[in-house]
Amino acid sequence: MLSDLSTETEIYTLQERMLFVRLVEDRLQELCLEGKAGDLHFSKGQEAISVGVMSVLRETDYIATHHRTIAHAISKGVPLRLLLAEILGKAEGLNGGMAGEMHMSCLEKRFMFSFQLVGTCVPVAAGIAWAVKNVKKTDDIVVVFHGDAATANGQWHEGVNIAAVQRLPLLLVCENNHLAGNVRPEHYMPVDVFQRAAGYGIRSNRVDGNNPGAVKAAAEYAVEYVRRESKPFLLDCDTTRLGRHKQGQGDLRSVEEKEALALRDPLLHAIFEPAIIEAFKAAINHIIEEVLAGPDPIRSV
Amino acid sequence: MTTMPAIFQRNHLIRDAIGRALYDGMKLDSAIHLFGEGAHAKIHYDAPKIEAAFLDRVHTLPISEDGNTNFAVGASLLGIKPVVDVISADFLYRMMDSIANTAAKLNFMRPNEDPKTIVIRAEFLTGGPTTGQRPESLFTHIPGLRVVIPSTPRHAYGLMRTALSTPGVTLFFEDRMIQDNDEWSPSDLIPAGPLPIGAASWCHRGRRGNATIVTYGIMRQVVQRVLRRYTSTNDYPMLCDLIDLVSLAPIDWNFITKMLERTRYREGWLLIVEPDIQYGGIGAEIAAYYQKCRPRMQVRRLGAPFATIPASMALHAQMLPSEEDILGAIRSFH
Repeated sequence: MLSDLSTETEIYTLQERMLFVRLVEDRLQELCLEGKAGDLHFSKGQEAISVGVMSVLRETDYIATHHRTIAHAISKGVPLRLLLAEILGKAEGLNGGMAGEMHMSCLEKRFMFSFQLVGTCVPVAAGIAWAVKNVKKTDDIVVVFHGDAATANGQWHEGVNIAAVQRLPLLLVCENNHLAGNVRPEHYMPVDVFQRAAGYGIRSNRVDGNNPGAVKAAAEYAVEYVRRESKPFLLDCDTTRLGRHKQGQGDLRSVEEKEALALRDPLLHAIFEPAIIEAFKAAINHIIEEVLAGPDPIRSV
Repeated sequence: MTTMPAIFQRNHLIRDAIGRALYDGMKLDSAIHLFGEGAHAKIHYDAPKIEAAFLDRVHTLPISEDGNTNFAVGASLLGIKPVVDVISADFLYRMMDSIANTAAKLNFMRPNEDPKTIVIRAEFLTGGPTTGQRPESLFTHIPGLRVVIPSTPRHAYGLMRTALSTPGVTLFFEDRMIQDNDEWSPSDLIPAGPLPIGAASWCHRGRRGNATIVTYGIMRQVVQRVLRRYTSTNDYPMLCDLIDLVSLAPIDWNFITKMLERTRYREGWLLIVEPDIQYGGIGAEIAAYYQKCRPRMQVRRLGAPFATIPASMALHAQMLPSEEDILGAIRSFH
């Protein structure tokens, strides 16, 4: 039975992996509505980016991410049981139930850092990349995921600046969903995201973030460039967030707008064998049942 | 009026002790790296030996204080023990996010990992509205941070060695107002190896049965000057014990309580002297603590006024409690 994607990655297609992420998040959303989970941040509509980028990374490459982390963690191969236990605040979770969906980490899978405050992950990722290059002295790279709105934050700029000055092996992947919560780009985005790279003398590229094949191809090039040149690279992935900013928060978009966005759903035209959908659902339900039955953490500090 | 060095850069004793601690720490542990704005120049000033011996472990970063601390947090995730040099403590306001949100939460959020060691180093300067502020009390309000302010070379050395070798996040202040030309006890000048963080220092022993004075930073020197003047008299100040907190987080409650128990006078007399703005300062927390467990104890506080620091050094000096203020507060108990 499938327990996590890491061990059986090779046998699943990109679309099947996206489906798996979608099904995990759908199940978690039900738990939110049942009051068994807090208000989580879901990646519905954005799955092609994490699945596509992660498919070209080595297991030894590092990632750092923001607050919408579930898709990244699953795609990086974080054990699903520990991941779900952390999201649900259980003792057996990745971080003992202390960090939650927005602050969790899994060193074993080199899922190094996630953080709620927008932009923070960029300078932190630069620090990881610095240590990889100058202390570990390996050719592994660091991938940092951020949103388009994060590029309006000083931390994004300070982090990219250091990475550029020090020529760090850092791939910036922008999940450009054209929203900052419920705020539109006209309030925070004076240029296209990929244009921001020019100010730091680093290269960038723009790709359809809802096409897993296109993401994979663009990421393949970018990852190879970052590894070879030891320089930052900005990959701007145009995508659509089909759900709310976070569960429990209102969505100011109209029904018509959301219907139009749904036409770009990366899984819209995907066709799956019913057996695989059932197998995924059964595996997820089984793990969630076990996790929910597990003990809550005991506070030690 | 408190005298202040005209050119505080001439004060070397504490700075040199920190430099020696960094050097000795780095010699013992290759994971320790120094990061900062102008780190090379600064470290060169502190201890030329550091740069010569560990050139590849001293790193200059841009003037992006908040990003620099987050950068150091990232490096710590791969086992580096960063020392982030902030220069002026006023810059800490720019770094509140990376210190309070990122660094302070780091080890709490990762109970299944080896705890990380990070030292953030800042100085209290003089010079004006944004070059002389003392934000230490704000940081004592944040779980996950150790806050230390040594006032002797021995403590500067010993606490830095401990900050470097004990997992956790330490905010390490250097008080540049402390003057070299003082009546130092010989033991204060000699580094005695690592000292525990969270242990207060009994720096003046009074005759049993009088007030306990609690202070830290530059005010240790000022209060001690007052008390020493009275050691061979029969006047009240010769009876006072003086405690240097040294560590504001955690506070050495046991030691303060032990000192208070030396008194014969009811439940004790406590004078708290702070170099920081008194309003909302750490002294309020100490006063409140003893108000609860020793309700009949008398407490007095002295500190800086709730005011912005002027550029005039003469006016800045007047903001700190003076020797006369301290004397007056001691006499007010009797």
